[in-house]
Amino acid sequence: MRFAATVGLALLFLSIESVVTRQLGLEVTRLDVTLALVVFLGLRAATLEGAFGAFAIGYLVDVFTGRPTGLFPFLAVLTFLLTRMLSSFVDARARGLFALLCGASALVHGLLAAFFSWLTSPSGGGTIISLTGLPLQALLCAVSAALLWPLLRKLDPANERPQAGMLR
Amino acid sequence: MLSLFKRYRELLIVGALLIYPLVTYLSSGHRGREPNVVDRAVLFVSAPVQRLLTGGIESTRGGVDGYIALRGARDERDRCVADLSATRADLNAMHEAKAENERLRAALGYTETTLEPELAARVIGVNASPHYISLRINRGEGDGVRVGMPVLTHDGVVGQVSRFVVGGAADVMLITDPGSRLGAIVQRSRVRATAVGAGGGAPLKLDNVLHGDDVVDGDVLITSGTDGLFPKGLVIGKVQKVTREANAMFLNAEIAPAADLRRLEEVLLLPSTLAVVLPTTPEVKR
Repeated sequence: MRFAATVGLALLFLSIESVVTRQLGLEVTRLDVTLALVVFLGLRAATLEGAFGAFAIGYLVDVFTGRPTGLFPFLAVLTFLLTRMLSSFVDARARGLFALLCGASALVHGLLAAFFSWLTSPSGGGTIISLTGLPLQALLCAVSAALLWPLLRKLDPANERPQAGMLR
Repeated sequence: MLSLFKRYRELLIVGALLIYPLVTYLSSGHRGREPNVVDRAVLFVSAPVQRLLTGGIESTRGGVDGYIALRGARDERDRCVADLSATRADLNAMHEAKAENERLRAALGYTETTLEPELAARVIGVNASPHYISLRINRGEGDGVRVGMPVLTHDGVVGQVSRFVVGGAADVMLITDPGSRLGAIVQRSRVRATAVGAGGGAPLKLDNVLHGDDVVDGDVLITSGTDGLFPKGLVIGKVQKVTREANAMFLNAEIAPAADLRRLEEVLLLPSTLAVVLPTTPEVKR
């Protein structure tokens, strides 16, 4: 149920994002809302469920971009695993910390995407330029994650607790 | 074997989910993907949502703009009437020039053939990644759209159709995409070049132009028609930041696209060769 809801949300976010980005005319940077879903899965979902969810979200991003197959599913599963490892040390159950984690994930995700694009690009063109928009992209991702936090919490009401803390 | 699998089941599945897409990506390189059944289903679901959102936002914006436009409408009307008179005079002169052109063309024995009409389309979305620059239009295979069709606005070249999407839509790869390459000519000096997309919303790069070739800032770049996709003479953009490094074989320059790619709403799709001009007789009539 949570898997279907996560994938459905990702599909909705991507559809909205593609239209809103065009309306705002954002060319240099994009708002990667689906990354917040992957990070949320890394923090809250079980390993298998989360890995499948992250793969499905990455697959959707792949379909929407329409370019080389496999890059975004790989990055989504990798981001999920990194977040999952990090969740052993940091308990990001507060909105601010979750947003911070999403911003950091956007930076890592962007750097890896640029690296792999450069790796397979015939001339390596566009890599440096796409990196210049990365800080703004990370900031926007963090802001969107903070805004989405109440909605995402509803996906996993069982793991809610009243007191949020840095350490477990 | 089975017990081993059961023991490491989780690790193996997660490993496969990580490795499989990476191997697929590295083996397919920079090539685009052709939509499979799942892709088509996803795009089939998302295209109506995109249309609905685009329609809603544009009608709201249209309503607001329409209200704001009423302010000062009378002054604007007067200006428009004056402009219309001037334009009519220009149009008459152009009709004369066209008629003269046709007479001369007939005298030289040339005929102009238009293969297919151009197709208008509305932009309904952009892709979700900053690394690959494309947008989605509301015309698909059923409307006569073909992969590779040139896409432009009245300002200049926009890109080319890269794939179809189920539900009467198609994706357009912009000329700023890192995978885009256009055969080009500098309009003033007729120097041949290649306009290469730099990605990330940056200006295009001018490629394959020799150090000593006649190219200066502000030169207009047009399509050469040699790439088999774009007809000759479409405006690509203006050359800027021309630099010539010592001992380099080629010069460096950027191209600012003529079309505002960040504010596209409607585009035109051309057949690969819009117009061909063929001589009907080998020698000029005397």
